[in-house]
Amino acid sequence: MRASAHIRELIAIAGTDGVLWNPEELMLYEYDALSAARPPDAVVFPRTTAQVAGIVKLARRKKIPLVPRGAGTGLSGGAVVTEGGIVLSLVRMKQIIEVDPENQRARVQPGVVNLDLSAAVAKHGLYYVPDPSSQRACTLGGNVAENSGGPHTLAYGVTTNHVLGLEVVLASGEVIHTGAKFWGRPGYDLTGLMVGSEGMLGIVTEITVRLARKPEAVKTLLAIYDQARDATRTVAALTARGITAAALEMMDGFTLRAVEEATHAGYPMDSAAVLLIEVEGLREAAEEQAEQVQAVCMENHARAVRLAGNNDERELLWKGRKNAFGALGRISPNFYVQDGVIPRTRLPEMLDSMERIGRKHGIAIGNIFHAGDGNLHPLLMYDARKPAERESVAKAAAEIMAECVALGGSITGEHGVGIEKSELMPLIFSEDDLEMQKKMLQVFGAGEALNPGKVFPSGKMCGELRVQMGGAG
Amino acid sequence: MASAVEHVSAGVGSLGGIAAVTDQESRARYAIDGVLPRAVVYPSSAEETASVLASAAERGLAVVPCRNATQLDIGAPPGRYDAALSLKNMASVWYYEPADLVITVEAGMKFGDFQHFVGRDGLWLPLDPPGGAGASIGGVLATNAAGPMRILHGTPRDMTLGMKIATVEGKVIKAGGRVVKNVAGYDLGKSLVGSWGTLGVIVEATLKLFPRPARRETYTLIGRTLDRVREFRRNILASPIAPLRMAYLSDETSAAPRTSASQPEGFEIWIEAGGSERVMARISSEIEAIAKSMGSALAPVESERATAVWERISDFRNALARAHPDAVVLKASLPVAQMEAFLGRALSITGGAGTRTASVSYLGGETVYLGLVPRNSEWPAEATVAQLRAAAEEFGGAMIVERAPAELKRRVSAWGETKDDFAVMQRLKKVWDPKGILSPGRFIGGL
Ligand SMILES: Cc1cc2nc3c(=O)[nH]c(=O)nc-3n(C[C@H](O)[C@H](O)[C@H](O)COP(=O)(O)OP(=O)(O)OC[C@H]3O[C@@H](n4cnc5c(N)ncnc54)[C@H](O)[C@@H]3O)c2cc1C
Repeated sequence: MRASAHIRELIAIAGTDGVLWNPEELMLYEYDALSAARPPDAVVFPRTTAQVAGIVKLARRKKIPLVPRGAGTGLSGGAVVTEGGIVLSLVRMKQIIEVDPENQRARVQPGVVNLDLSAAVAKHGLYYVPDPSSQRACTLGGNVAENSGGPHTLAYGVTTNHVLGLEVVLASGEVIHTGAKFWGRPGYDLTGLMVGSEGMLGIVTEITVRLARKPEAVKTLLAIYDQARDATRTVAALTARGITAAALEMMDGFTLRAVEEATHAGYPMDSAAVLLIEVEGLREAAEEQAEQVQAVCMENHARAVRLAGNNDERELLWKGRKNAFGALGRISPNFYVQDGVIPRTRLPEMLDSMERIGRKHGIAIGNIFHAGDGNLHPLLMYDARKPAERESVAKAAAEIMAECVALGGSITGEHGVGIEKSELMPLIFSEDDLEMQKKMLQVFGAGEALNPGKVFPSGKMCGELRVQMGGAG
Repeated sequence: MASAVEHVSAGVGSLGGIAAVTDQESRARYAIDGVLPRAVVYPSSAEETASVLASAAERGLAVVPCRNATQLDIGAPPGRYDAALSLKNMASVWYYEPADLVITVEAGMKFGDFQHFVGRDGLWLPLDPPGGAGASIGGVLATNAAGPMRILHGTPRDMTLGMKIATVEGKVIKAGGRVVKNVAGYDLGKSLVGSWGTLGVIVEATLKLFPRPARRETYTLIGRTLDRVREFRRNILASPIAPLRMAYLSDETSAAPRTSASQPEGFEIWIEAGGSERVMARISSEIEAIAKSMGSALAPVESERATAVWERISDFRNALARAHPDAVVLKASLPVAQMEAFLGRALSITGGAGTRTASVSYLGGETVYLGLVPRNSEWPAEATVAQLRAAAEEFGGAMIVERAPAELKRRVSAWGETKDDFAVMQRLKKVWDPKGILSPGRFIGGL
């Protein structure tokens, strides 16, 4: 196959080794972690902001949509191509440009892998707080675009609370710098608008983040329950008593058995649910909080509460949690990860609804929650080779979303809207609300140039409530 | 057809069906740099606020949203100022779930009333904004106002889960939601927080609450020199303790928030921590050890006095102005590690300019307030402000002229220069407020 004119121009900007255009290679970029859509026309790997600007200008001139992409671990189809276009991969922009320990700041390129940043600053006693379970793979650029969370964002906030400034290449090819190294530069909070904008408002080429100091003491507890309901009640009780855990995760029996078989983290196979709870801070505070947590768990009928005795035990417990999705892949041919949020006090009833919905559609649902902030990840099991199962799963997922909204919650807590949930946006936003959000495309001069077809409802669904699971499952 | 000018000079009348109040006293309350609004309107709901805005937009009247005027003077002096839109009549609590640590209130609720309301359940918003109890929730959000306690959980930006905004199109827009984690759609609320009343009117806010610590203790010590203060900062920030707030002060005026009867040389450092009895014992011994290593003695402060001091520290801008109406109040924001160096430079600049100077710095909190009290009217005001701003920028920060005599405010820029993201900000203003009727010209770059 001969390179087209477009490809030759891309190569002129990014070099021969910076462009993929063979169909076999492009197939790999059909996917993100949600599902497959269609292959892009080309994938380009810039190394500098100037190259990004060059590519953006080229795409604008030729009216080709650009889809920014990090590691492709996104779970809402944000990094896939919907109607043709070029994938702009930021993975080769992976320099940590500056670490400033005294100011607790780092400036990085967007392709830096989340965990690599924490590793690089560990020698200063610092770390980067937001820790998505995918942190070994996902990029900080992707985190910014999705406003990602993680188990430890409960106490200290999600990505947006840790990003102070950005370098952004706008759809015009112009480069702007939002925010600053300190909080409070006068002017509108464009950084805040960019974070969570799912790659539609601009290409992030540099990120200034805040780093946190590692706590003196960390205590990790595993509370084991015979009734899942008691675990959810514990979460509500902890919140109500003002016990601020650093992390508060829940897994139901179905999920933890799969996890245990895969990782041997030490979760009891016969329990109905476990809570993984972490408290941290000053030694005295962590000790006191661990005692309080233990007491609240026991009051809410925990069978037992185990305290991780050392760092190895702690890491093993977390390994189980962070590899949960992978573990489930071993027991079901396919599963669909959902992401919803509800007020924490409503967890017990939500768990009942989940059971009811699963039974109604005849599908198994595993539950894994960032329980402390009411963020649910039901995992819906199915076999993609059976269209009827796919259909049931899509229906059940839409019902779960509707239930989250009915309880006062939201349709996504951290995975984003992407192509998956754009049709659900009217569940929580009025036309006026969405209209104003759409105007942000105008504000950043983006129009339809970047990541088109995401986030906003197409208006074609005529009232049918549907999640979009993607082409191949 | 009557010309617009005649129409306006005929009086504001009513706006969106709400009668405008025009008596001198009501108008004077919302005066900015000596300019009085021609009228004040008091809508009592989100929808009424939206209709007031729509009607003002239709008639091209300039509207400034406000409540208690604790920070209303910040920004460029108003060019046009037809109506003050006060949220005084909007102070209800719409939703409160203490067990979930979430609350939704109307924006006119006063900060003090808010803290009292949630305090009954042992909760609080861990903020000590300028304006204190008298500030309104809407005002705190619109100015992203935070005092030294921002080192704990950040600024209002970080605690806002959702809001309702009345727009000049007469609509009420919702941003965010009621849950602590939510990434559905663009985060429109962020653009309103810190927008200083120039985009829309925040009519309702949903906020994330926090449990209040069981006990709180305040301590004070002296840092003889800025080098000592720096050493103290580094030691505290490297230690495992996480104080609620810290500040240090210097004072050459009489009525700034100086507190001790004696006038020791150097900087008074104030530090407050919270926790259980056992935790407090540990924290106080840690702070004591740090103080000792600097050759300073640590003194505990009894709670009533501590409360008063913290109030004056966070409301420095108003406290100083009450004693010295001619004071110039400047606020520099800059990276923590550069704060002492900046303050040293600033004090030498103001010393040279012949003003008496008070300063309050949020230790670890990226903020240095300077209060300049001229000894006589013959001081080089413009040049001094320019030099101080240049210094803040040289140290990697920015500086706002928060308060100054009206005549000086007209000659200096309140916000400083814009940067390469300004065109985007202008377009943001344009989509929210196409006719430019909301606090026109008052924000950075004339937004
Ligand atoms: C096993 C597993 C566990 C996960 N756990 C979590 C979790 O705990 N919490 C959580 O929040 N998420 C989680 N995720 C989801 C996902 O990892 C996050 O959304 C992550 O931030 C995506 O990063 P990425 O680099 O893979 O981005 P991609 O998937 O490549 O892209 C995501 C979006 O970001 C845009 N984008 C990427 N880079 C840029 C850039 N530089 N400029 C502009 N736009 C850009 C893309 O266009 C796309 O819209 C998980 C995913 C998996 C597979």
